[in-house]
Amino acid sequence: MFRKILAGFALAALVAVPASSQTLDELLARNYKAKGGLDKIKAVQTVRMTGVMTVGPGLEAPFVLEQKRPNKMRMEFTLQGMTGVQAFDGKTGWQLMPFSGRKDPEPLAEDALKQVEEQADFDGPLVDYKAKGNTVELAGKESVDGADAYKIKVTLKSGDVRYIYLDADQYLEVRTEGKTKIRGTDVEGESTIGDYKEVSGLMFPCAIESGQKGSPQKMKMTIQKIEVNVPIADAQFTMPVVK
Amino acid sequence: MKTVSIAAALAAVVLVCGAPPAYPQAVAFQPEMLGGLEARPIGPATMSGRITAVDAVPGARLTIYAGTAGGGLWQSLDGGLTFKPIFDKHNQSIGAVTVEPGKPSTIWVGTGETWARNSVSVGDGVYRSTDAGESWAKLGLENTERIARILVDPKDGNTALVCATGHLFDDSADRGVYRTTNGGTTWDKVLYVAPDTGCADLAMDPGTPAVVYAAMWEFRRTPSFFTSGGPKSGLYKSSDGGVTWHEVRKGLPEGDLGRIALAVAPSKPGLVYATVEAKKTALYRSDDLGESWTELNDSSLVNTRPFYFSRMVVDPSNPGRIYKMGTIAAVSNDGGRTFSALGSLSLMGSSYHSDVHDIWVNPKDAEQLVIGTDGGVYVSLDRGAGWRFVGSLPVGQFYHVSVDMDWPFNVYGGLQDNSSWFGPSRRSGGIPGRLWQSMSGGDGFWAFPDPTDPDIIYDEIQGGNLFRVRRSTLESKDIAPSPRKGEPKYRFNWNTPIHMSPTRPGTIYYGAQFLFRSRDQGESWERISPDLTTNDPAEQRQSESGGLTPDNSTAENHCTIYAIGESPKNGDVVWVGTDDGNLQVTRDGGKTWTNVAANLPGVPKGTWVSSVEPSHFDEATAYVTLDGHMTGDMKTYVFRTADFGKTWQALATPDVTGYAHVVKEDLVNRDLLLAGTELGLFVSLDGGKAWAHFTSGLPSVAVRDIAIHPRDRDVVLATHGRALYVIDDITPLRKLTPEVLEADAAFLDGRPQWMVNGSGDFGFNGDGEFVGRSPGEAAVITYYLKKRHLFGDLKVEVYDASGKRLASINGGKRKGINRVEWSMRSDPPRFAPGSGIIPNLYALMGPRVLEGTYTVKLIKGKDAYTSTIQLVPDPRSKATAADRRAQREVVDQLFALVERSTDLIDGITAVRDQAAGRAAKLAPSDPLRGKLEALSAAMEKRRTALVATSRGEGISGDQRLREELGTLYGNVNGFDGRPTRSQTDRMAVLAAELDAASSSFKASQAKDLAPLNVELEKRKMEGIVVTIK
Repeated sequence: MFRKILAGFALAALVAVPASSQTLDELLARNYKAKGGLDKIKAVQTVRMTGVMTVGPGLEAPFVLEQKRPNKMRMEFTLQGMTGVQAFDGKTGWQLMPFSGRKDPEPLAEDALKQVEEQADFDGPLVDYKAKGNTVELAGKESVDGADAYKIKVTLKSGDVRYIYLDADQYLEVRTEGKTKIRGTDVEGESTIGDYKEVSGLMFPCAIESGQKGSPQKMKMTIQKIEVNVPIADAQFTMPVVK
Repeated sequence: MKTVSIAAALAAVVLVCGAPPAYPQAVAFQPEMLGGLEARPIGPATMSGRITAVDAVPGARLTIYAGTAGGGLWQSLDGGLTFKPIFDKHNQSIGAVTVEPGKPSTIWVGTGETWARNSVSVGDGVYRSTDAGESWAKLGLENTERIARILVDPKDGNTALVCATGHLFDDSADRGVYRTTNGGTTWDKVLYVAPDTGCADLAMDPGTPAVVYAAMWEFRRTPSFFTSGGPKSGLYKSSDGGVTWHEVRKGLPEGDLGRIALAVAPSKPGLVYATVEAKKTALYRSDDLGESWTELNDSSLVNTRPFYFSRMVVDPSNPGRIYKMGTIAAVSNDGGRTFSALGSLSLMGSSYHSDVHDIWVNPKDAEQLVIGTDGGVYVSLDRGAGWRFVGSLPVGQFYHVSVDMDWPFNVYGGLQDNSSWFGPSRRSGGIPGRLWQSMSGGDGFWAFPDPTDPDIIYDEIQGGNLFRVRRSTLESKDIAPSPRKGEPKYRFNWNTPIHMSPTRPGTIYYGAQFLFRSRDQGESWERISPDLTTNDPAEQRQSESGGLTPDNSTAENHCTIYAIGESPKNGDVVWVGTDDGNLQVTRDGGKTWTNVAANLPGVPKGTWVSSVEPSHFDEATAYVTLDGHMTGDMKTYVFRTADFGKTWQALATPDVTGYAHVVKEDLVNRDLLLAGTELGLFVSLDGGKAWAHFTSGLPSVAVRDIAIHPRDRDVVLATHGRALYVIDDITPLRKLTPEVLEADAAFLDGRPQWMVNGSGDFGFNGDGEFVGRSPGEAAVITYYLKKRHLFGDLKVEVYDASGKRLASINGGKRKGINRVEWSMRSDPPRFAPGSGIIPNLYALMGPRVLEGTYTVKLIKGKDAYTSTIQLVPDPRSKATAADRRAQREVVDQLFALVERSTDLIDGITAVRDQAAGRAAKLAPSDPLRGKLEALSAAMEKRRTALVATSRGEGISGDQRLREELGTLYGNVNGFDGRPTRSQTDRMAVLAAELDAASSSFKASQAKDLAPLNVELEKRKMEGIVVTIK
């Protein structure tokens, strides 16, 4: 009995060691597994998320986010009965912002385009990072919101740097941080990610809080409904032609 | 027997494996549990604080590094407009900052300020960043305490020299010049003179980097004395990159030397300048690589206070232009022959803050200067003629803090070389610097509002200069007590304690070696003690202090009272702590005094008493902190007595670090203690058994004083390097009991939440001003999570008394304390699409809920936890509850009108679109097509009568029913009080318009639509449906 207890402790200690010295590949594999597996991730062709974003106390806007492989996205949100759109069809980024009287779509400026293009990357910057031209390295372990997380440094093809933090027990994203160059100046942003829910065998975060790093003003997104592999026409992402 | 052996074996296994014990154990209180309870910086930055070192990288976007005395290292990437702290996880006292030559992303930092004033902090070694401050590696030399300069070999970035001034208060061998050739992995101490003699400056010849000069300085500070200079000071030279050294003396003054500043001329190798403290302090010059020296100038601009100002810089592009730091910065344009003050001087001095410690001269543009002073950073673009103050550095060194009972309450305090100030603790949109008011000037310390007279504030200037200030006029009256006939001279500390009686509002205490009490706002003083200090003449030699350069600023005044505390439970019990180690208590209002210092276990005799805190619950209980750092004793001393000082319990555990400045007992929960030390804020929930370092939003900055607001339950921190912080509403800490720590999740109810409507500021001040952070106007809901939440919902829901859900909020998921905000509003009304957003913020928001108690639910996956939240009106509101009910009624009516108008417009639009759709399916010749098109056009006409449709990219001014109703809704919704008669009248008019439009639409359905539907049916087409609710 006594030996058994001892053996149990020793085993636990042995198991605990490799967990703290993970290689990047192991970590990414665990991350994909935690989300449902790489095969399942890659089998997703479209996603539609419906929810509400809170841009300030008492200021809420319902939104619909649609994404289609490999890099199409469309985000709609509604304020006071009017709907704004920001979209990217793989080449062109555009928006329709009717809130001050404009009725026609317009192409996105370079800085906004860069951000939309990044958001449109269907599987995110880690999956097939080499093929995408991203550099990824493991940057250690840090405490995020009071619990340990692995820190992964991603240098995007554009040169912008992203840090992705994976919960040390569950290997899911809990925080991302990044610097984006806007007119030559770094703008630092951060997002806190949580409320993971399973949909079609995949884990999706349903609560995202983001904003400028260090600022108490954060935008909250709550996702209420997720639809996977619903048909979404390519036209949905293309900038309408103004007649 | 058997059980014992198993337990022992298990214990051994635990030790080996480091695994937690297998049996359940209480959840330990850990720093990360405080994470959601964030300290918010309120600044101000309007006076900034002491800058110790600056360096910069020239370029189109000038990068500036500003090292501070106690507020860390800051980086500006825009020429000094905005700054951000880049060293917050490390020691906050910066001695040296050096950008590696030719490698602008590599920054070397030496911690521990070298300007050895009485209030100086301590460092912990050398750090380097290779990514421009993103991350830092510590490179050792931890025990050097202070570092004056780091030089990096311009040809080899792994070779560097560190000028370690070393310990100020005691002997130590960890000082001198250190050299590394492997980027700081290992260090050689290449120049060492004696345990009381450190390195004060280093310079490298620009032509021959192997030639290095070092200033070695013999110095010492004690609690009562400062000495600069001695036989061991000297100027040294190395010709082999700092490996070997020899002293040079030729041409330098005879006798003892003090602090030496060195400066080479980058544009003229071989030339080197030095200011040398001696009996006659002067500027010297050498033209032979430091071998021999010639005196140039002994102007007062050159020789002021060498211990505080020994920095000199030669313009990189002009070997004859020398900048010498001082009380006022000075410049010579003739190679040191003459000096003049930098900038224009008035009677009040320079336009920049006095006491200039460092300067950077742009090597590519000699017009551009950056200086660091006791009051922040300034930038000049015209070689010092004019200066721009950097308003984005909140690095003030507050000594003390107090609060008043206004709403929002004001915060009062004094700073190192930056007067005393007061300003608001919160404000919609942030607290700009202009809302702060300075008072008497000089160095500020204690400042208190008079609780009996809101127009009166007491403040002081160093060395016992006490003033009574009228808030309304800012006139200031000297009210310090002065010696009466037969009394000795009064001895006041640099930081003389003012204390306000908690039991007799309006009664003030003030301490010299005697304790004074005034009951008439300082008009007269009653002496209520004998000399409470040791009155040791050996500790009262401040007039001889300074060493080679006399320096009797009152900073070395000693044998004085430093801390006063009257018991809130009994006004006759008063505690007094002195800087020379006495801890006195009276239980009869000052008639008799007992010195209980000897009862403090493990405290060296004479240790400075830094604070006393009589308990709020029991007159026999008191807390005390002591601070021995000025004798080299860096231990943390925090004690409690429960028997008037007969016995004491040490409370500081190894988790509390840094010499102690203050301890506070909470006003409600006597087990909640807050301690401020040189290295930060520490919290105990169990009366001092266990402590956690509070790091949320707060770097490891010295916390000198703490105030707990008795009504609002906010904690205000006076930091010595990052100005003031507020921790909003500590009620949750009062409730964070061991039982709560065990729970998976639990609400930690806060104070009643004020219903304040935010108000904007019409100010466009650019980006260069630090604005104090305000908590915003939402209600705050606080809860505790034992672990980070990852899977499933984590939401906070709010319900009214009828059980209607008003809000569902994405909750924080962190381990420990979480806070979420609720707008105290329900959902906004539905609007029909128009040509733009109605330009009224409150039209976008839902109706304000009424004051009262609401139910809050924490939904955590499948579990739910319930509590309540209490909403109370804005304390300043003049509206009554009936007024607010009246408002809510009108808002509800307007809300209904908006939604009715939306339904009507949507219905009309639907008919329009159906008619157009049907028409499109018919042949152009079909008469029905024409009728349907006419109907569609008629509907569009109706719609445009109700909704603004002009393109709004210009300013259309178009306002229809939708916009009028929305604006009125917003206007009434944005003010928590009775609507005006105009508003209610207007509502009636708009309601009538809506009714008319509704009836007209209904009428048209019977008249126009019904016959068309008959015809559509004939063609087997679907009839037009009216979807209006």
